[in-house]
Amino acid sequence: MSGMSFMILVPLFPLAAALFIWVAGSRLRERQAWIGALPIVAACAGTVLTLLAVSTQGPVSVRFYEPGAGGLALPVGFYFDRLSAVMMTLISLVGTLIYLYSTGHMHQDRGYHWYLGLIAFTTFVLLCMVSSANLLMLFVFWQVLSWLLYLLSHNRTHQATLNGAFKTFTLLRAADMAFLMGIVMAHALYGTVEFQELFERAAAVPVVLSPLPGLEISGATAVTLLIFIGAMGKSAQLPMHIWLPGSLYAPTPVHAMLHAGIINAGGFLLNRLAPLYGLSPTTLHVVFAVGMLTAVLGASMMLVQNDIKKTLGFSTIGQMGYMIMECGLGAFALAVFHLIAHGIFKGTVFLNCGNVIHKVRQEPTFPHNTHDTEAPELSRLTWLTGMLTSLLIPLVILLLTHGVLRIPLWDTQGTVIFLFFIWVTSSQAILTLTRLRAVASWKVSVAMLSTLLFVVFTYLFAAEAFTHFLYPDPATVTRYFQAAALPGPLFDGLVVGTTLLTVLSWVYLYAQAHGRAMPLPAWVQALRVRLYVLLMNRLYIDALHDRLGRGIMRVAHGLDKHSFGGSR
Amino acid sequence: MAEGLSLWLPAAVSVAGAVAGFAVWSKPAALKVLAVGVSLASLALLVASSGAAAGVSLPMLLPIAACLSLLGQPAHEDNRAAWILTLLLLGLGLSMLTAQDGMGLILSALLLIVLVALLYRYRALSVSHLWQGIGIYACGVVCLVLGLVAAPPVSAVAVLAVYAMLLPLAPVHAGYVAALAGLPGNLPAFLACLLPVLGFHGLLAVFPHLPDSARDALPWLGLVGAVYGALKALAQPRVRALLAYANLSFFSMLWWYVATMRTAPPQAVLYLAAVGLATNGLLQAWYAIRARYGDMDLRAIRGLAQPMPRFAVLFALLALAALGLPPFGVFAGFMGLLLTPGLPLSGALAVIVLVWLTASWYYLGLLQRLLFGRHRPDLRYEDLGRTEFAALLALMLILFALGLAPARVFQPGAPASPAQVAGGDAWIR
Repeated sequence: MSGMSFMILVPLFPLAAALFIWVAGSRLRERQAWIGALPIVAACAGTVLTLLAVSTQGPVSVRFYEPGAGGLALPVGFYFDRLSAVMMTLISLVGTLIYLYSTGHMHQDRGYHWYLGLIAFTTFVLLCMVSSANLLMLFVFWQVLSWLLYLLSHNRTHQATLNGAFKTFTLLRAADMAFLMGIVMAHALYGTVEFQELFERAAAVPVVLSPLPGLEISGATAVTLLIFIGAMGKSAQLPMHIWLPGSLYAPTPVHAMLHAGIINAGGFLLNRLAPLYGLSPTTLHVVFAVGMLTAVLGASMMLVQNDIKKTLGFSTIGQMGYMIMECGLGAFALAVFHLIAHGIFKGTVFLNCGNVIHKVRQEPTFPHNTHDTEAPELSRLTWLTGMLTSLLIPLVILLLTHGVLRIPLWDTQGTVIFLFFIWVTSSQAILTLTRLRAVASWKVSVAMLSTLLFVVFTYLFAAEAFTHFLYPDPATVTRYFQAAALPGPLFDGLVVGTTLLTVLSWVYLYAQAHGRAMPLPAWVQALRVRLYVLLMNRLYIDALHDRLGRGIMRVAHGLDKHSFGGSR
Repeated sequence: MAEGLSLWLPAAVSVAGAVAGFAVWSKPAALKVLAVGVSLASLALLVASSGAAAGVSLPMLLPIAACLSLLGQPAHEDNRAAWILTLLLLGLGLSMLTAQDGMGLILSALLLIVLVALLYRYRALSVSHLWQGIGIYACGVVCLVLGLVAAPPVSAVAVLAVYAMLLPLAPVHAGYVAALAGLPGNLPAFLACLLPVLGFHGLLAVFPHLPDSARDALPWLGLVGAVYGALKALAQPRVRALLAYANLSFFSMLWWYVATMRTAPPQAVLYLAAVGLATNGLLQAWYAIRARYGDMDLRAIRGLAQPMPRFAVLFALLALAALGLPPFGVFAGFMGLLLTPGLPLSGALAVIVLVWLTASWYYLGLLQRLLFGRHRPDLRYEDLGRTEFAALLALMLILFALGLAPARVFQPGAPASPAQVAGGDAWIR
């Protein structure tokens, strides 16, 4: 153990807080709850110190076992590097804010102490998970997190929340089992669950498996695909996203914790295993496809929700898809940057959402209807602003990226796709804004454009700096991008398709706004309605899941009825 | 000689304790204290004879399970017979772990006869599986006779069938299910540990003598048993039957592993001990409910988390341990098995992991139905008493310790038998 071993105390602070709160039990008052906050704040300060230490002095490893020597049944060890330190800082910061908010927000709740203890304990588990020294310890905390999600997302006397929590736990366990298979396979193929050794052995000795006659798959691909299913569960990727909307009855601070911390576990896992994922282009392409599908469908489902929490929930699903897609593009550091930004943003939104819901309950006229004051139609200036935003600015960004930042766009498809997504999402945001604020003011337009430019460029520069911070070796970053490179025609198709879609959307909107009918075929009109129904019913994935569950239970009851010793 | 004596002595103490129990038959509280004391004395003798450095062995599990199952019992006259039987079975079990060859088979037959008699005696309490159980155990006695008189490999296969009744394996699991679902008092909780330990011990001894065809069939039987047990557990409305089938599923996985790998590393002992103790705890917890409200259907009681918080916390932790969540022993044992070098990556492994997943479903269902929802206002609730709480807490702490202890602490505890199987396959212990 080095002099930096103070770092292992950091995860223990929230554990101490949880134990203090639980021991205090129902005697806990708001003042004692504030005392419980002290260790969490200390953990937050500790993570900042850890981040500073590992940034200047390199990674620190603290192990309570000898790798391969058959020590403890569960190999307990911690590995603090820049990735884990960044994640720890985010988790402890979010955990502290949510704890402090909850001391006021939940103080009238009967399970006040139980709930606050759970928040502190979840922070402890998350901190341990992101600082695990090996795959097995990470998996241990990963599973405990599944259980904590069950505990956090239900109210024991409310049947709907119980059903949702049951679904959450069983779905997450299904994903966990795939993760388990990945660990078993990694151990069987490479003989270790230690991160660094695993990466070295996987790179040094390529293994080819033949699960079916005529089908060959590399060992790294098999392992990473299985582990990715585990990540899909926690990060609510299609089709394993259905647990997230089902847990929306939970208290608002729990949502903040869930959407700002817990759900990022998938992105963290892919980053932690980035060297392994970098060995498997196939898995990266699957990751990209799943992420893109989740981003598109998550955002689409969000548009048809009529409940504030569900809307935010599907927004998170879309954002998680985006984050996973970034991993699939080889932009691992960007995914972490994204999850930090999204975590802080969504945490704030959810905490604010709680206040809004409280206010609505107290004030029936809230929110005040202000739509009458808006202009009925969009002005010419607004249209011009929108066109500039979505068609001209992207060109400027591309040129600046290529010329000023010297990012080799032709060599790294991932960056191009990333820029495209910035373009598409910012266009979408502007479209929404112009719909809401249809005011014909050049000041507003200029403010909007300059803000957008500022945000996009800050994002680009910050993302570039963060990538350099997390992966200081540029060769590593390039290697990941190259591993994730898509086949040429597919890449070109994606770029052309996205461009066409964005331009056509503008044309369609403009025509509609000016009362011109678009010559759309009847089947397109019918498709719109069907899509709407499909998205409103969340693609019927929940129904399929329920039907699968009922099918298994029918088989079980049939077997029980007809077998030797059936239950009476 | 000294090793044999070290196990015979605790066995003798247990049997003597059972006989002495009749002297205080009229005083249930004194009888309970005696039974707990005798099981502790057996444990102390085992520890003293093996030495602290030898680690934890299979025989030690038996007095621990007996002691904790007795401790949680209310001092009521209805339970006296179960306590004395616990001591008798403990003595018989320790003797079986010590006995060699023919004597071991005779003691096994005696155990089966006792179980048949118990199932018949308490048939009124049984809800299902009774006659199948009696029939299976009667067949077991016949198998043991065959094991004594027939020549190998018939004798080995016949004896293996008996061990498959103890460490439950489909299709001869009905006796185990009947014993757990039908016997009174603390007996199901104790038998949940005793029978698998004896079956596992016997399996280690008999496996090297099995013909190749039987050894090749065992992984398949293990796989089928694991799936069958999991599906049956999903459909059970009664807690004891659910736990019995869950155990069938979990122990079938152990059969699959031992038969596939042809090895029984310390992790197998850890897994066996942890599954047995977790079931022991859950059966004890359920006994606490039965003692208050009778042996009711799961659909008839709910919402215990609020009126019985101590019960709820311990039951939830035990259920989590049983379904294989870390940091408890079942998870550590299972991971230890799966991370054994040389484990083949096959479709069977995927099935095993799916079966493992199913446990989350039925155990969580059990936990949720029992603890959550609105509690019935027509029932009078009383949380766990001191001894009930102590027994369950101790079990939970042991399961926690099993999940963290180094693997080398556990020893297979098998009798001295050939380490090399005729035919060349290494039998590693």
